Amino acid sequence: MSTLHPTLDHAGHDDSHGHGHGHHELTFIQKYVFSTDHKIIGIQFLVTTLLMLMVGGALALGVRWQLARPWEYMPIAGDLTFGRDGGQISPEYYTMLFTMHATVMIFLVIIPVLAGAFGNFLIPLMIGADDMAFPTLNMLSYWFMWPAILFFAFALGLGPEWLTHVRGGMDAGSAQGWTSYPLLSALKQAAPGSEMSQTWWLMAVTFVGVSSMMGSVNYMTTIINMRAPGMTLFRMPLTIWAMFITAILQAFALPVLTAAGFMLVADRVLGTCFFIPAGIVVNNAAPTIGGGQTLLWQHLFWFYSHPAVYIMLLPAMGMVSDMLSCMSRKPIFGYKPMVYSMAAIAGLGFIVWGHHMFISGMNPALGMTFMVSTMMIALPSAIKTFNWIGTIWGGRLQFNAVMLNCVAFVSMFIIGGLSGIFMAAVPVDIYIHDTYFIVAHFHYVLFGSTLFGVFAGIQFWFPKMWGRLMNDSVAKVHFVLSFIGFNVTFFPMHLLGVAGMPRRYADPYHFEYLSHLLPLNQVMTAAAFLMGFAQFLLLGNFVFSIFMGEKCGRNPWNANGLEWTAPSPPGHGNFDVLPVVYHGPYEYSSPISGDKDFLMQTEYIPLAQRGVESGH
Amino acid sequence: MASRLISINSFAQTVTKMSCLRSPYRLAASASQRNFCCLAVGIAVLLSGCGPGPKAEFSLRDATGELIPAAQKVVKKTLDEKFGTPQNLVAWQRFPVNYGGVQGSVADVSKDGVTANFESDLPAIHKDAPLLWLSGPRAGAKTSVDSVATFDTTTKQLKWAGSAEPAPAAGDKFVIGYGGNLQTGRVVYMKNCMHCHGVAGDGAGPTAQYLNPLPRDYRLGLFKFTSTLTPEKPTRDDLTRVVQHGIPGTYMPSFRWLGDKETTAVVEYIRWLSMRGEFEKRIDDDLSNDYSAVAMEASAKKANEAYQSAMKTAKKEDRPEKPKTANQLTKAALDEFSKYEKDDLPGVINDTATLLAESWKKGEEADSLIVPTVARVTDNEASRERGKRLYLSDKGKCYTCHGVQGRGDGVATEDFWKKPGSDEYYSHRGLHDTWGRPLQPRNLTLGQYRGGRRPVDVFRRIYAGIKGTPMPGFGRTALKDEEIWDIVNYVMSLQFQSTPTKSIVTDHATASK
Amino acid sequence: MGRFWAVFFVASAVIAVGLCWVAPSHGLWFPGTLKGGFGAGVAHSSIGKRIDDLFYLVLVIVAVTYIGTHAVLGYVLWRGATIKAEEKVLFSHGSHSLEVIWTIVPSGILLYIALYQMDVWAAYRFKEFSPKKAEAVAEVTARQFEWRIRYPARGKTLMPTPQPDDVYTVNELHVPTGRPVSISLKTEDVQHAFFVPELRIKQDAVPGLTIPVWFDVDEPRQYEMVCAELCGWGHYKMKARLIAVSDEDFGAWKDKAALEQFDDGFKKPAE
Repeated sequence: MSTLHPTLDHAGHDDSHGHGHGHHELTFIQKYVFSTDHKIIGIQFLVTTLLMLMVGGALALGVRWQLARPWEYMPIAGDLTFGRDGGQISPEYYTMLFTMHATVMIFLVIIPVLAGAFGNFLIPLMIGADDMAFPTLNMLSYWFMWPAILFFAFALGLGPEWLTHVRGGMDAGSAQGWTSYPLLSALKQAAPGSEMSQTWWLMAVTFVGVSSMMGSVNYMTTIINMRAPGMTLFRMPLTIWAMFITAILQAFALPVLTAAGFMLVADRVLGTCFFIPAGIVVNNAAPTIGGGQTLLWQHLFWFYSHPAVYIMLLPAMGMVSDMLSCMSRKPIFGYKPMVYSMAAIAGLGFIVWGHHMFISGMNPALGMTFMVSTMMIALPSAIKTFNWIGTIWGGRLQFNAVMLNCVAFVSMFIIGGLSGIFMAAVPVDIYIHDTYFIVAHFHYVLFGSTLFGVFAGIQFWFPKMWGRLMNDSVAKVHFVLSFIGFNVTFFPMHLLGVAGMPRRYADPYHFEYLSHLLPLNQVMTAAAFLMGFAQFLLLGNFVFSIFMGEKCGRNPWNANGLEWTAPSPPGHGNFDVLPVVYHGPYEYSSPISGDKDFLMQTEYIPLAQRGVESGH
Repeated sequence: MASRLISINSFAQTVTKMSCLRSPYRLAASASQRNFCCLAVGIAVLLSGCGPGPKAEFSLRDATGELIPAAQKVVKKTLDEKFGTPQNLVAWQRFPVNYGGVQGSVADVSKDGVTANFESDLPAIHKDAPLLWLSGPRAGAKTSVDSVATFDTTTKQLKWAGSAEPAPAAGDKFVIGYGGNLQTGRVVYMKNCMHCHGVAGDGAGPTAQYLNPLPRDYRLGLFKFTSTLTPEKPTRDDLTRVVQHGIPGTYMPSFRWLGDKETTAVVEYIRWLSMRGEFEKRIDDDLSNDYSAVAMEASAKKANEAYQSAMKTAKKEDRPEKPKTANQLTKAALDEFSKYEKDDLPGVINDTATLLAESWKKGEEADSLIVPTVARVTDNEASRERGKRLYLSDKGKCYTCHGVQGRGDGVATEDFWKKPGSDEYYSHRGLHDTWGRPLQPRNLTLGQYRGGRRPVDVFRRIYAGIKGTPMPGFGRTALKDEEIWDIVNYVMSLQFQSTPTKSIVTDHATASK
Repeated sequence: MGRFWAVFFVASAVIAVGLCWVAPSHGLWFPGTLKGGFGAGVAHSSIGKRIDDLFYLVLVIVAVTYIGTHAVLGYVLWRGATIKAEEKVLFSHGSHSLEVIWTIVPSGILLYIALYQMDVWAAYRFKEFSPKKAEAVAEVTARQFEWRIRYPARGKTLMPTPQPDDVYTVNELHVPTGRPVSISLKTEDVQHAFFVPELRIKQDAVPGLTIPVWFDVDEPRQYEMVCAELCGWGHYKMKARLIAVSDEDFGAWKDKAALEQFDDGFKKPAE
């Protein structure tokens, strides 16, 4: 297949400083700040999202603190905002905390770290391209994150009041939950966080959307057009398949969210009534005019946000498949079923959004339809899980931090997937909907799975980013603390959910049937703090290893992928020579590779020795 | 008159006790888990670099802040002394507040310890429960129950070991768990009420600024929906009713399931906060005539302006004397104040407390309660018609605010009104309450009854008005009870009339002539 | 070291299963009246009991799957950790028959759950209870942050608009036991959700809609009633009770409530 060079884009936009290959004259700013190099952009995304991870984590710890010591002094927040009241936070502050925790984690950590950081860094390297199809667009996709971050900060009440018009600082931070259901989000009088901060929140989400969309278009184009010679679709690593499918999902689902967001902004600012029924009086404001339907938002929102769950998961699945195969020194088990099941997840992902709305009052018959499709989406996930276990089966396992995080991914994904079956059963969902069972479920999927996958990915591809290895012992300690902290924090949430503890309660304990849950919540909070502080190990290891890590060559893991044929770190243009692909990416311990237990995709084995591989 | 101040500082104990009472399960499971949690909490505190955190404060009124510094200090000192801080409440016995506690009397003192009799069952007595001695050699002293105290439920006798000198004698009276009510009230208040009504009951908690109408500021001693006559304080029942039923149409929710003990306690605490606030206000009012820094500055400025203009026109020989500057005035006031503080202030404090205590006591008296002298007039067409005529008459004048159709859009809502006691106008059209906040007359067609939907509630609203608002009382003077019932019948029927009949409009035309 | 990690992951699964096993006896399971020595609460509505049964069915399937997958995971980790240097790695790209098996079997199980539960859902939503069969006892209006409830006067039926003789309560919903009843669920402002944990009943209150919710209560007592959809800062404050009483008591209560509500405060002077 032919390979396009990204010169078209360069020629179109960067005439002012003539360049082709070998950008000697690039200034520091061009090279490291407004860089169009996919690797720099990927690293920029990675560093940004890791910082945001700490912000989101801090917000989560605030939530946990309140649940462990309700209405007592909360450090930092209590000092900054509630000094006069003895440092006890207000209920709207609590709603702000969990809203912004989810917002930051979803929009500024999980989505950008997968598609933005790893997608950017890995796609050209893994398919043998010298850069993305549209490097400038790529750069913009990163820099559009910053208005989003800024607006989220405004939504958090951190901006100056003359600019943001958020009355009351952080106390009036956006507080509608990340789902932003109207009317709470549509009527400014409905809550402190529904004032200007909610408008900023919606604008920020729009910017994240624009950024993601730029990325998606770029990834699709790059993967379709810029694969190295010999890199057929079914020789692509699963990471690339996952990124490809994610990009498609995003490209189709995002416009709906953006449109819905604009409609909500219009409701808030222009006085339209897409989501606002007539005659609603909130906080003694004038009654609303207008005949909208709040359920419309739920449909539109979940039409994006359910696929978004897979946007937040599929890339990690792909990466883990690659890493598991490499660390097991064994081909991936069932490559094509893996691809097909990802495609199935993506396809089914578009027709299951209604399972978020089983008790919303939509037609019960619709509930049945969504229930069946939801049950069916568990199937490809199950197939993938079995294939991962099959991949480990009989391999020579390398128990380094990468492997451990990957196994944790599989283990946690099993829990997250199985707990989903309870919710898919509509009658059971009547009971567990909006309880901590849901919170447990999605944290097992998003944190337990995706984030452990990301931890593994960081350690696996770190050598390619910096030419040095991360410290494996520290990484293992980080893994153990994170794993224990995570499970102790989130596993009991299933039980809280079964006990009927609703989500988003600033103080559940004044209900008699929940009052005995405080001690358990305190244990969970302690574990959450443990987990939170463990992330400093990751950050420390990351920063330390950039400068002091053990130096490594091109292929420290003896992996097969194209990225490992490039220098570490790869220079501009990535590869010394245009790679030509002869094998699939998972030919570990192949009988034809001789003494080695790996077979690089670029390694040519004379036809006489090849008997195993189906030729292309 | 002996006024006794009792400091209550076993806040933490009460909290633990309360949380233990709620769930026996919690007690069993908590010990090791608490330690585990404390570890993490310790790490967090260490990392955040914060100590035990800020302490809640009773904020002072704006008017207090306008006094000269010396007076401010005195006000603050007095308040701290008489009422304490949120961490350390003081029960000033002058006020009719049920501070809580169970009274007992010593039956026997032996070398094993003390045996005491109680009239009723003791609430769960925790270790080191505070004891306040009312009579005997220890009168006024505070001690505590020894940790090995035992209570016999059949004989209602409490025994505890050991006792410091001077030993109590048989027959000495004491109160156990003194101030428990106030403490429980505070715990409940800080959890449920504070974020709107503020630590000091000033209606300015963190959530308050987003609410419409704003949460009640207790410090004027005014409560809107009461069963008492116009000038009287609310009864405990009135406050309990609001706490339990909420106020529809506002953000005051119903705390129906707070628990009886908690509700009683929080009502006492709110009364106490209100007394504290009004005490401060009255002291402020007394001081601000002579010792307001702001007023002094204003008067000095005014005098100076007069002097300047006089200087321009006056002849040399009869030049006016140069007026005192604000600094001089303040200095003079300061000298005067120290004298005032010594000679007059104790008396003022005493009088204020007496006055307040009397007024709150009076609210609870049977005479203050509004009881209709006649039963509700049968709710029929004729009665409603009479009610309508009164509504639109010059006697009732209800329509000026509530509108001809009862939609709360009377002509009064279109006017600009003067601030009470000054020539200034409010910046917004329409009515304002005593707190100076804009206020909408009730739309009577919604069926939303903030003060309760019982006929007697509506009767009382018309009879005594709504305190702190322009809604006047009509009882005893303007309207007879039967007439009020007619209006009640009419007003309560408005909700069920889809459109006003034509006759109302024509009637209004005739009525207003 | 590899063996340690195999044990580590298996141990985590064992602890998870063990925690679920002991949870009911520590009050960490369904709320409701406890049945025998087992600490799980029993639902107090007929639909709730069926929901519980379905939950336990799913739980069994899930538990078997979880234990199975983790046993295999533990085994392959152990094997991968103890593989000898001279031993050859299994070189396999997959197995078609295995793929077929683990596609067919789970899909069969999932379809079974899907079809099985339909009956419960249908019973709840279409068949056994319906607005025709269940008496409308009250209109429940959620607002920030309380429940305001309107009942028809005794002997009358609930009308969609308020009537002069309606009876009102706040934060307490009185219903008769032993027969299906329905409430009209509304909201005055933002979205709320009506949730009675011990009955396993939940329904969103959506602005602009009146949604009927029907259920039955088997035991006359008080049940806690909460809001389960974020409705603003006071979401957690919506503490209410569902008070179930027998039919006679329900009528008596309504009389008493009406008497209280139409109280004119007049006391006949003692003669």
